[in-house]
This record gives sequence, structure tokens and C-alpha cells, in this order.
Amino acid sequence: MGRDMTGDAFESIVAAHHGEIHRYLVRATLRPGDADDLSQETFVRAYKAYRALPPDANVRAWLFTIATNLSRNHFRAEGRRRRAMAMAAAGATEQGPSWPEGEAIANQASARIDRLVSALPFKQRVAFTMRKVHELDYDSIGQSLECSAESARAHVFQALRKIRQGLDDLDGVHMER
Amino acid sequence: MKEIPTCREVERDLVAVAAGEAGAAASEGVERHVAICRECREELGRYRVLEGMVTDLRRAPMPGADPTLARAELESKLADIRSRLVSYGIFPSPLGRILIARSELGVSMVRYIDSEAAARAHMAHLAGDEDIVEDPAMVEALYRELLDYLEARNTHLRWPLDLRWAGSAFQRRVLEATTQLPYGAVASYGGIAKRIGAPESVRAVAQALRHNPLPIVIPCHRVIGSTGDLTGYAGTRIGLKQQLLTLEGVPVGGHAHRIDRNHMYVLVDPYTEYCVPSCGSISTMPLARLTLFGSRERAEAVGLSPCSSCRPDLHPLSA
Repeated sequence: MGRDMTGDAFESIVAAHHGEIHRYLVRATLRPGDADDLSQETFVRAYKAYRALPPDANVRAWLFTIATNLSRNHFRAEGRRRRAMAMAAAGATEQGPSWPEGEAIANQASARIDRLVSALPFKQRVAFTMRKVHELDYDSIGQSLECSAESARAHVFQALRKIRQGLDDLDGVHMER
Repeated sequence: MKEIPTCREVERDLVAVAAGEAGAAASEGVERHVAICRECREELGRYRVLEGMVTDLRRAPMPGADPTLARAELESKLADIRSRLVSYGIFPSPLGRILIARSELGVSMVRYIDSEAAARAHMAHLAGDEDIVEDPAMVEALYRELLDYLEARNTHLRWPLDLRWAGSAFQRRVLEATTQLPYGAVASYGGIAKRIGAPESVRAVAQALRHNPLPIVIPCHRVIGSTGDLTGYAGTRIGLKQQLLTLEGVPVGGHAHRIDRNHMYVLVDPYTEYCVPSCGSISTMPLARLTLFGSRERAEAVGLSPCSSCRPDLHPLSA
């Protein structure tokens, strides 16, 4: 079964999801500039493949899969993963050069969490982001990462443990309730 | 009484419980454990605080992450891709297998085909700047309308045209003049040449129509030789030309592939009344000045009125 390709149908998909996919890609790639490029590429690929998509497909989860694959390949190609790892090893308190933060929000909890998220390995980082920020189910996350829902969950939990540990390290003390 | 799980045993479940994703058994184990273990109770508390902070990420602004520019660039990329996309399908019809192609601008090709493989190879060969894909669903609606037309349920194909495969400006002028020929009427190649202001270019007109990328839609089957001969159509498919004209109520002599102007109502350029062929000096006029109609209904359907001297309404041609 084919899809309406007259433009309107896909227009509404772009309108509904581009902002969200872009936000996701900022976290997945760690660079807003890369998110600009890859968010465009995500929707260009989606547009080309859209006609073959079954009518009952979960379009949103499918877009996340495309975006995840693109950012994974992007990391491999750019060798940025190693740099990100190096950054993580140097200490999560180091602020990444491409991760601009205004004074006003530097101390906000969400900015601290984001800094810790950026130091996570790729799979944990994107699994965490898809689950906790974008609230995708584990089946969809597993599809994006080419693993089982159970493994996807393990990635998210592992990310949570590391972030919790990271918060302790940032504060120098255990968090108080 | 059940044993209380150890710190090590509940460690994995603490995160799940804090995230609200633990099963009943795990939840119960954690609950029983933290009731007696202060350290794990605090750990669970920290995970719960973390869950709250993480939830805030959904609403927090993202520094440096403005999608506006990327979105605008994306829209223009998609517009570019869309303009290059041509979809086609191959369908059965009363005239044999037909290929129909369209873009976002309109229908871009109608082609009679003998071999599907050859037709696909032709489309692949055509792909230059275009992104040509076989996608019958995209042209299905056009096909349905075309079937209605070929089975006489519809006399108009009011489709937007995409003339990307019409070669020259001259050919476009010929094709545009040809689209003006009404259903159930015929004119000559010389007549089309006159209409585009190039009365000497009769052969060039015939050549341009030979390469009509949109037969049926651009009704080159309504263009005939100066003697009334059907001459040619889509290569050697003159039988299809006869079939299309017969469908429209134009009488075509059986084996001769010829239209007898003495059996047609006549419009003389540039008048708005139609006549019987014996009216005045019509019988001596070159076909290039005339448009012939198979029936009064067809002439009147385009707004012509009966000639006030020969009165085709009172003295119609015998069928």
C-alpha cells in the first residue's frame, strides 16, 4: 500500500517531528551544528523511504531509528566517539567546547544532567535520551539500537547509574534528599 | 517467612523501582530490603531525586539548539527533491498496456508499451536530473480517470501537464495548440501549423506530434493529414488512432484509415457557427482552415451554434 506523496502528508510529519528529532540529535551528536545537518538528512531519507512505509507504522519511532543510525555512522566516520570518550575520561566536569551554556543556566540541574549525559558512551546516551527525554518505549529504542527491548532497558539503567554516580562526583558529596 | 534480599540482590532493582518500571516481585524485594537497610534506602532516594531531575530535561531549554534554520533548509531540500521526483506505473487498458508517469507538477508521460522490461529500461535511461521511481499507487488515480475516458464515461482529462519531456519551444507550441482541439473533433497538421503562426511548418508539426510525450492527454489522435488520411500514430499504432476517434464519435472509414470530410460538420476558422460540408464554398477550402466535428452535439458542446444559412440543426447529415 502506498502513501500520499503530494507533499501535504509529509509536510505535516516534518511539522510534527522535526523539532523533537533535532533536540534528540543535539544530545546524540553532542553538537548543535551536526544536529542541523543530521536532522535534515533524517527527513530527506524518511521522505525517500516514506512511500514504502506500511500505513500502520509508528512514524515517530521510525524517525528516531533513522536519526540514531545517522548519528552512529556519523560518529564512526568522524572519530568523534574517541574524543567524547577522552572527554569523559578527563572528567565529566570538563565542559565540552561545543556545548554552550549560559551563566544563568549553568547551575541548573538539567544542565548538570546534560553534561553527564554527554559523557556517556553512545548507546547509553541515546538509549537514555530516547527513554527519559522523548519517552519512547523500549521496543522502539531496541529497534533503533538493533538490540532487544531488554538490552535497551539495560542501557538506560546503566546510564542512570553513571549519571547518579556523576552527580555525586560533581557535588563532591552524596546528594541529600 | 521469606528471606530478605541482600544489598547485592536489590542493587539492580533500585533503578527500576525509582523509574517506576519494576515488576511486583522486584518492588516487593526492594521494599523489604530498604526497610532494614539505611544505605540502600538512601540510594533509592537518590535515584528518585534523579528521576525528577531527568523529567525536567523534557521541558528545559537546550542551549544552542535552535532548529529554525535547519528546518528552513530542510523545507527547501524537500521542495527540490519533490520537484525532481517522477513516479510511474504500467497498467492494462483497452488500448493495450500503458505507462503513466507524473510529477508534482502534473502528468509527464503516457506511453503505449509492448514490453514492460523495455519500458522500465527506457525510464531508467531517462533519469537524468529526475528521480524516477515505479510507484503505481502514485498514478493510480490518473489511471482510473484514463480508463473512464477510454470506456466513454468521461470526455475530458483535465490534468495539469508537466511538459518536461517535450523537447523544443516549437514542440511545446504544437502540443499546446493540439490540447485546444475539442473532444470529437479533428483538424489537420496544416491547421495546427496555422494556429501556431507557422503555416509552412506542416512537416515539423507532424514530427513534433510524433514525439508527443502525452498521447491521449494531448490529443494528437485528433490531428490528421490534409486529405483526411489518419497518416500515423505512436509509431505504427494507427489502429489505436482509429479506435480513439471512433470512441469520440468521429466516423473513420474502415480499412482506409481515412476521414471523409463530407460526413462531418464543419467549423471554418475563425467563425463560431458550424455548418454542413456543402455550405457555401466550404467544400473547396483546404482542410487547414477547418475543424471537423463527428456530431452536432460535439460542435455545440464547445459553444458553437448552427449556421443560419445551411441550418445543420434542421437539415442534419444522414448518419
